[in-house]
Amino acid sequence: MLSKFDYYKPASLEDATKYLNENPETKILAGGTDLLIGLKNKKVRCKHILDIKGIPELNKFTYSEGRGYFIGAAVTINQISEEKLLREKYPAISQGADALGSYQVRNRATMVGNICTASPGADMAAPLLVYDAKVHIASSQGIKAVDLCDFFTGVKKTILNPKELVVGVSIPDVEKGDRSVYLRKSRIKGADLCNVAIALRINPENKLSIALGAVSTIPMRLFELEKETAGKDLTPELVDWLATQIKTYINPRRDSIRSSPEYRYLITGVLAKRGLLKLIDKEGA
Amino acid sequence: MCEHDAKANCFEYIDSQMPRVPLDLVVNGERVHEMIDPAMTLLDFLRVTLKLFGTKEGCREGECGACTLIMNGRPVTSCLILAVEAQGAEILTVEGLSKDGELSILQEEFIREDGLQCGFCTPGMLMSARALLDRNPNPTADEVKEAIAGNLCRCTGYKSIIDAILSAAKREREALRNG
Repeated sequence: MLSKFDYYKPASLEDATKYLNENPETKILAGGTDLLIGLKNKKVRCKHILDIKGIPELNKFTYSEGRGYFIGAAVTINQISEEKLLREKYPAISQGADALGSYQVRNRATMVGNICTASPGADMAAPLLVYDAKVHIASSQGIKAVDLCDFFTGVKKTILNPKELVVGVSIPDVEKGDRSVYLRKSRIKGADLCNVAIALRINPENKLSIALGAVSTIPMRLFELEKETAGKDLTPELVDWLATQIKTYINPRRDSIRSSPEYRYLITGVLAKRGLLKLIDKEGA
Repeated sequence: MCEHDAKANCFEYIDSQMPRVPLDLVVNGERVHEMIDPAMTLLDFLRVTLKLFGTKEGCREGECGACTLIMNGRPVTSCLILAVEAQGAEILTVEGLSKDGELSILQEEFIREDGLQCGFCTPGMLMSARALLDRNPNPTADEVKEAIAGNLCRCTGYKSIIDAILSAAKREREALRNG
């Protein structure tokens, strides 16, 4: 039995932000695949549930040339996984979507919900980080856009305040020849949380972007390491150097039930190398 | 808590103080209208309110897949959905697979291939498999594995389940060809 609450499903964004203003102790419901577990385990308590799936803006899933994608907060992981153009242009994002949970969970879970829960190992976080995604946040004051790299503040913590709600995420358009890959290591092949996740992207100007998940308190973009590769060609030598350097940027927790820090240090290097070699490989193809 | 007294109310929902909300949906082709507690999950709505016990309750947190059903054409874990979220939805549960007392091809193949032992995961497995065959009538073994990755079975080792789904796919394609 879930703890007691009432349920409201607004049909407009104004209604939703007004409701959040007037009703403290409201939790926002999109896919519910994290929220309902929290309610069941009594880790989340609330008086009201605000179901955002009826708001038209939040169901938007659009691409326009030059501007890229807008993915609304009610768009499910499987909708993303099934979008062919997105897979062509932003492979790491589709691969992240494929890896998340089970098929049933992906039919309910949303990309925005995944980043709002802000688990360090959120499968959508690292892929979105390498594409400089922006989070569009609504409140009764209006809508603001925040860089995803400034969105996470700690384990399951974000900059969102209780009166705000995320409308969606935008990802800038990419040039032809932009490549990316998302790799993760989990204990089993089937549905499982990951021990280490890495998203790698290289644009046609040879600019490398690197983001990691599950190896620190927040999913993170490695801007400093990226700077050191500026202007260099991605050669096997550079790949080896990056694979050793990348380990110095991570901070895995000691008390994880899934794996030891030593294992995560090791696997981060392995996945980095594997991913970077994949990016080189595609160059020839 | 439930004291296992047949006369006592075993379900907290009945004592719920929350105002009840109307819920209209279609379950296995039949229109249903009920007043429900907004904190009730879709799984509990089926089992407690509608007394449809085919959909099983396992982990209650979306890990085991025993509560899988098909909602608006897509397989979902009903323990992670509020019943109110299913407003206007079309739900297919394991009870809706057979027609006029006759098992479907998929169910027959689970029996023929020994795709079950204790049977607890079977309704969820059947619904994940049904949804797979609806979107892909000719799946590979790997596609079957991906489709049932969210359904745990501790008896069979999965092989017989995968075989059952593959041979059901074949029989369904044949049945379609032969009209």
